[in-house]
Amino acid sequence: MRFIINQAGSGGERIGSLKGFVKISTAVIETPASALFTQSGSVVHLTNEVLSKVFSNPKLLWVPLSKSYQLETGLKAQGEGVAKFAGLQNHLTCVTLHGASEITPSGHFESDSVPLWTKNGKKMISANRYMDLMEVFKPDIILAIADGHTSLDEGSKRISKALDRTSNMLNMCVTRHKNSTCLQDSSLIGVIVGVGEERKCEQSIQNILTYKENLSGVTLEGITDGSEESLTVPLEKLEAIFKRVGDALPKDFLCIIEGCWNPAVVVTAIEHGWDLFDGSYPLKLTNAGHALALQLDVNQDNKELCILNLNDESYKDDFQPVLASCECLACKKHTRAYIRHLLNTREMLASVLLSIHNLHHFDEFFHHARLHIASRTFDVFKKHIIKQYDFYKQNKKDVPIPTIQDVKTSKKKEKNKKRRVSDDDIDNVVKSDNSL
Amino acid sequence: MGAKSLALSFSVQAECNVSRARAGLMKLPHYEIKTPVFMPVGTQGTMKGLLPDQLETLDCEIILGNTYHLGNRPGTEVLEKAGGLHNFMGWNRGLLTDSGGFQMVSLLKLAEITEEGVKFKSPYDDSEIMLTPEKSIEIQNCIGADIIMQLDDVVQTTFQDYDRIKEATERTSRWLDRCLKAHKRPTEQSIFPIVQGLLNKDLREQSAKDHMTKNVNGFAIGGLSGGEAKDDFWPMVSLGTGILDKNKPRYLMGVGLAIDLVVCVALGIDMFDCVFPTRTARFGCALINKGQLNLKQKQYETDLNPIDNDCSCSTCKNYTRAYLHCIVTLETVACHLISVHNIAFQMRLMRTMREHIEKGTFPQFVKKFVNELYSDGNYPTWIVNSLNSVGINIVRK
Repeated sequence: MRFIINQAGSGGERIGSLKGFVKISTAVIETPASALFTQSGSVVHLTNEVLSKVFSNPKLLWVPLSKSYQLETGLKAQGEGVAKFAGLQNHLTCVTLHGASEITPSGHFESDSVPLWTKNGKKMISANRYMDLMEVFKPDIILAIADGHTSLDEGSKRISKALDRTSNMLNMCVTRHKNSTCLQDSSLIGVIVGVGEERKCEQSIQNILTYKENLSGVTLEGITDGSEESLTVPLEKLEAIFKRVGDALPKDFLCIIEGCWNPAVVVTAIEHGWDLFDGSYPLKLTNAGHALALQLDVNQDNKELCILNLNDESYKDDFQPVLASCECLACKKHTRAYIRHLLNTREMLASVLLSIHNLHHFDEFFHHARLHIASRTFDVFKKHIIKQYDFYKQNKKDVPIPTIQDVKTSKKKEKNKKRRVSDDDIDNVVKSDNSL
Repeated sequence: MGAKSLALSFSVQAECNVSRARAGLMKLPHYEIKTPVFMPVGTQGTMKGLLPDQLETLDCEIILGNTYHLGNRPGTEVLEKAGGLHNFMGWNRGLLTDSGGFQMVSLLKLAEITEEGVKFKSPYDDSEIMLTPEKSIEIQNCIGADIIMQLDDVVQTTFQDYDRIKEATERTSRWLDRCLKAHKRPTEQSIFPIVQGLLNKDLREQSAKDHMTKNVNGFAIGGLSGGEAKDDFWPMVSLGTGILDKNKPRYLMGVGLAIDLVVCVALGIDMFDCVFPTRTARFGCALINKGQLNLKQKQYETDLNPIDNDCSCSTCKNYTRAYLHCIVTLETVACHLISVHNIAFQMRLMRTMREHIEKGTFPQFVKKFVNELYSDGNYPTWIVNSLNSVGINIVRK
């Protein structure tokens, strides 16, 4: 894979393209872009058939190992890598250890290995084992194994250890990558950790730059440990980090930001030269019953909130599409009222329709970002988006956040209720992962 | 020849010259249906995670909605504003709704059935609700399906008390009159009466004969597939198709297992519905001619075949058993993928039967099908007897 910068904007923002993929030689991923978040190798809630109704061109699939570890045996038997195995051979893949938005237990680290939290519990993974798995998953892009799941206010001692561990593991990843014949078609990405402490972060970057020739880019971890609190960093603070780290990196590096960041954070990161995002944000919206409804035209104000909570009863007889200007299948054929009904009855099609819309619209958001970079008006676009998101934050309906205890009991109640009400048609079998 | 009305016209296109099987065309306001047909069940105005577009690709021509559930959520007010369920869910082909009576009796222990209707406590707010024949039709008029069902007095299939069964059967006939009288959209929707009488031959005969005197466009056979022995089941189907007008469609409610479909088509049934194909999908079970695969089993861990090599559905074209094994009961995608395959399986079976009826080779098809399913030649008695009764002689090896 090659990363080529096609055009720089008036600030640090830039348009680039990922191309030269060996598996799909014609594929081009234009950046800034978002990947599509997967679980078990599938874009969450969407089959190959439905995904092809959303995107006709190759996309980058974000594959956290924690949520696809159980594919290993099948992958070995098949031998053609995770995209093909998951029925998505027309798309490209990027494998990482965990999704940045997963909440994982703290601790459990060993000197040369990190815990991988899978559906079947903890697996200790060394850099060697990780690269063995990469030879089985055969992704187009590999994020090096790292200890990056820490928040900005993580303690100094913990960060030092994270730094050492990450550095040692990167060394092993680079060596294995160089010597593996079957990984020659995969690009390796270094992981920046310990971002909360400026000096440690610099060290982390320096470590990575030691292997500059062997790496195609970096990914920024060490900001969030997956918790909601770690995501509620003031935008100015994040912006300072994006700028400081972005400026310290070689220009030809692909710059990735992991985590469930809202559109205001995304445009801020783009402005400082960050190219690729992990796609967990639209999934989080979908799992919450929310629809992204940004006004992408900078000449028009958004007359509604930029995120619609379709669980709300007020949509029960709202027969408009989620977003009138949207060209996705869900907006072309279905209404807010129908999606609200599907959410209310806990039908799986709700997540399918919301995924279709949210993925399409999030993709359009990046498309518009690129258009504005090209026409050197990104600053206008950025302000337009931040304004909408701020307005949403101030005006969204306050929904009390249930404590864990509440969630459990209310789920139980709901279950009992369902038993009585429904035809046993209701799915207790598959529970979508709301925590992400 | 056939029933003609604005709401439904049915014509038999081809008949098997051995059994009672027939292939027909049923013209409904929203779509023209080729029978025999299997109708997947989309209880709450959705087919278990599949888009209406996917159902069209799968060649589904008519699907089911449940009046009881839809009447509660989204409710008639919303459905009315939406202009009916077709609009609400974005489905332009055939729709059929049940009467709502079955759910009440099967789900609610508190239901009390009187001549007026079914009285029960709402599971949503514990208030008392009375579902009368008039109310059921009112809701179904609002939902706007092409075919709607009369409210019937439902008794558990294996129930034994003769007096109660007799009462229910006769009441079903009386309720039919009330339903027909209450029907507000006869040029757009057809009410099907339901033949009741459980496993009692005389009562069933009486019920079918009563219904035959009414001005209706088709008939349903109900009260079966409720846990009764197969030896008790098929004679009741046969009795129904023997009496009911040949020129009108006959719908056997709640039946959808492949072998049951084959036998009952031979007995002269045109329409079926069942939650089984989509329900079993959610537990990781995929349908094949030889029965079903439980994809959760370890034996599929490294099996790189599709579910069925002969199947052309999007699941079989793109996914292996090994991959499905990894994701069943874990990812919603697994439900969708297996539901697609299972519906494709049902559709293909019905299409194959239609083609054989048209070509005059239906008896041969039945023999081949049964032989493949019971490759040891150990055919169950009920299959041998039911098929023999319509002239398809299969003999145990």
